[in-house]
Amino acid sequence: MRKRRQKITDPLLEALISALDEERVTDGASARLLYSKDGSVMEGGRAGIVCFPETTEEVAKCVEISKKFDCEFVTRGAGTGLAGGSVPCNDPIVIVTTRMNKILEVDLEKRVAWVQPGVVNLDLSLSLRGTGFHFAPDPSSQQACTIGGNVANNSGGPHCLAYGVTNSHVAAIEVVLPDASVVEFGSSEGEMCGYDLRGVFVGGEGTLGIATRIAVRLTEDPPAVATLLLDFSKITEAAETVSAIIANGILPAALELMDKNVVAAVEPFAKAGYPLDAEAVLIAEVDGLPDGVSKEIEKITQLAKVNGARQVRIATDQEERERIWKGRKSAFGAIAKIKPDYYLHDTVIPRRRLAEVIEKVYDIAEKYELLVMNVFHAGDGNLHPLLVFDARIPGTLEKVRKAGEEIVATSLEAGGVLSGEHGIGLEKQRFMTQQFSKRDLEAQDALRRAFDPDNRSNPHKVLPTGASCGEIDSLKEIPEGVWI
Amino acid sequence: MKTEEKLFSLNPEDLNACVSCGLCLPYCPTYRVTGDERMSPRGRISLMRMSEHTDFTPTLEWINSMDTCVQCRGCETACPSSVPFGDLISDTKKDLEKVRKLPIMVRSGLFVIARPSLLKVVTFFIASLQKVGLFKNSTYIPSGIPVFGNKFSTHFSSGSPTLFTGCVMNAWTPWVHKAALKTLKFFGVTSGVSGNKVGCCGALHEHSGLRRDFRKMAEKVIEMMPDSGPVLVNSAGCGAILKDYGTLLGTDEAKQFSERVFDIHEWLVINCQMPEKRNIKEKIIVQDPCHLRHVQNSHHYVRDLLNPFVEIVELSDEGLCCGAGGVFSLAQNKLATEIRELKTDSLNAVFEEIGEARIVSANPGCVTHLQAKGFEMKHPLEVLVEHLSEADAQG
Ligand SMILES: Cc1cc2nc3c(=O)[nH]c(=O)nc-3n(C[C@H](O)[C@H](O)[C@H](O)COP(=O)(O)OP(=O)(O)OC[C@H]3O[C@@H](n4cnc5c(N)ncnc54)[C@H](O)[C@@H]3O)c2cc1C
Ligand code: SF4
Ligand code: SF4
Repeated sequence: MRKRRQKITDPLLEALISALDEERVTDGASARLLYSKDGSVMEGGRAGIVCFPETTEEVAKCVEISKKFDCEFVTRGAGTGLAGGSVPCNDPIVIVTTRMNKILEVDLEKRVAWVQPGVVNLDLSLSLRGTGFHFAPDPSSQQACTIGGNVANNSGGPHCLAYGVTNSHVAAIEVVLPDASVVEFGSSEGEMCGYDLRGVFVGGEGTLGIATRIAVRLTEDPPAVATLLLDFSKITEAAETVSAIIANGILPAALELMDKNVVAAVEPFAKAGYPLDAEAVLIAEVDGLPDGVSKEIEKITQLAKVNGARQVRIATDQEERERIWKGRKSAFGAIAKIKPDYYLHDTVIPRRRLAEVIEKVYDIAEKYELLVMNVFHAGDGNLHPLLVFDARIPGTLEKVRKAGEEIVATSLEAGGVLSGEHGIGLEKQRFMTQQFSKRDLEAQDALRRAFDPDNRSNPHKVLPTGASCGEIDSLKEIPEGVWI
Repeated sequence: MKTEEKLFSLNPEDLNACVSCGLCLPYCPTYRVTGDERMSPRGRISLMRMSEHTDFTPTLEWINSMDTCVQCRGCETACPSSVPFGDLISDTKKDLEKVRKLPIMVRSGLFVIARPSLLKVVTFFIASLQKVGLFKNSTYIPSGIPVFGNKFSTHFSSGSPTLFTGCVMNAWTPWVHKAALKTLKFFGVTSGVSGNKVGCCGALHEHSGLRRDFRKMAEKVIEMMPDSGPVLVNSAGCGAILKDYGTLLGTDEAKQFSERVFDIHEWLVINCQMPEKRNIKEKIIVQDPCHLRHVQNSHHYVRDLLNPFVEIVELSDEGLCCGAGGVFSLAQNKLATEIRELKTDSLNAVFEEIGEARIVSANPGCVTHLQAKGFEMKHPLEVLVEHLSEADAQG
């Protein structure tokens, strides 16, 4: 293993300051502490110098300097990631994109907007209000997360069921590669020939370079929308309803499931009028032409009733719709109402096995005497079982870790995959060997090295470190103290 | 074993309530302008946690992170886990007093407003300088303040509501109180006035961490105010703190007092018959003061009250702070100005859509801060009185 510069040296700080300015480069202890964490529960990260560039040129300069000084760098958007993707190990330079927050160009005719990577997801859609268009990917963190982060994690959201995840909404990306050169992948003008490097970069979790400008596709607002709230006295009935809806050829815009514990946590904040006595609540949204929407409402109501729904409520106005969604989207944030810490998985399972796997998840939690809360993109089979706990209670972390492993194993056994949308980051790396063979991982590593031969761009992430095979099984590169 | 005393004493449960999800980030004005975690609610809470260790000594960087908080509490309404950020920052500021001094300008200002007769003298000087054009437009002192201000004398009317007149509003913008009294009269309400004998509520002292000064002032307010009848407040900052006396002082007397405190718009809407909707000619932009919206959750009453007379136009920034923040615009002028630029953008976006319009805000600090940028600002009651008078003239 090549030796890395561990200590922050003054010449490095000086060089970065001269590239940006004193106010936008810091190695202060407070900054380094805060930039060592993200929205996940990963502890033990260590940030080096933190930089706030505002332009592509400035990003390129930071990367150039990192190369000159042979240091690693980590890109960070809003730090809402749930897999530790932007958690730095070993004092790398942290390149923060939050000041790159300009919407550069909106072309409604071509249905494309060029944005800087630090633009907040919801800000883009809000700025488009009244134009008849919006940016479709809507992670539950959309009020805070950046489009750069969405691209890097290929994030999804409730409405990605019908509209597709971030990858379907990115036309082109300008990237600063780890060697500091600036390239553009994809095209905002139409299809490109050759390899789809844009597609490779999306979901790269910051290991392939830094996105500095992104051409996102804009989606037309649907002419009619209806939001339904269905409640059930058994979570399996809700899961069966999900399968039935899809099996009957209906593809709702969104299909989200929350269990009783989640409903209890979010209702006081969202005041959406969720039934507190239901075991599960299903939010279904249908959109399209008014005629089609009414037909789908009817059909979904009927299927829900057949599968045991106690009640079907249809939101009567925009405000009611917004409240229903506000509740769903604040689920992770509201967890502290129950317990101060959470550990979240993000596996995807075949939809038809939803009911069965969910039951198993509850059983696993019970076995370890832990509380599990389920809130997820049911339509995609994308589970988000949240183990909630108080890390201060001795022995709890070990239980959480074990329960987590069993949940992952159960999902994989059911024919599922590791991550639906939150990415692998630092947290789920150790599960990669369960899903991929050595060969698979080698191929992935070769791709990564084509972009970043020195392994300086967000190293220690995604692939078990180094991934030069010998090291795949050992996690020795992850600094001590980094846990779930 | 000797247990060392911690410099900061924050409630560990409150600190633990934050799950670091980051959903509050965009609602924080200082994070919005800097993009820096150190200037965000999540970051501040993380840093506060450092203070739980006995060997913690705050660095300048740490202190700056706390001092740059506007205490707008926009993060509190945005937080799904209901982290009581206001309590945390207020306790932090209190203990910060042990390690740093407030800027001299801030200390002097707070010294003056706590003393009505001194405030009168200072007002005389500033107003005179303003008259001869020697006092420049400022973001914390309104233009055109009366030379002989601070004239609302204390009088009560038993069992009836009392208008709380405070310190600088009493001295510098008496027209707002006049509008409040006129409004009450229109609605047939007799009321008393707290005036100089009661003086300042101590909100700015509490926000600056001067807990002892605040306590004295709060105790005086409770002692001097009548012990029955509603207390009506037309400044959002004062209203918020008066409603919080109960919690902050912890006495039964304070709790009973706080229960009688109402934002004036709130009280009018709940207790008086609202006029019929008129033929509407004017559009008014409502800029919510943070302490009305995020702390008191009483901002909708302003709309209810104006609704019969004007068309309400909303800003699209979900109640983002304007940067005034009591003494914030004095202590952190650069940040305050940058934050105001965001508000300017939201206001300009509305102007583009509807043309020029007056803006109302129910807090004197916000009014002055935005006036200094050149906006035509009014207190909602000033606009209401105009319309009530007009309606009255028409019969
Ligand atoms: C309450 C809550 C709800 C969530 N809901 C969802 C959800 O519904 N769906 C979902 O998919 N995710 C969800 N997430 C996870 C998270 O919000 C998303 O992964 C989001 O896209 C991360 O964006 P960010 O700006 O916070 O990125 P960060 O967390 O800062 O970074 C994430 C990764 O992207 C990389 N990165 C960031 N910017 C760039 C760039 N410009 N170029 C290259 N790499 C970059 C980082 O290195 C890191 O690996 C949720 C998180 C929270 C806290
Ligand atoms: S304060 Fe609330 S919204 Fe902000 S990070 Fe903490 S839990 Fe999330
Ligand atoms: S009170 Fe206002 S300025 Fe302070 S952290 Fe909360 S949102 Fe930010």
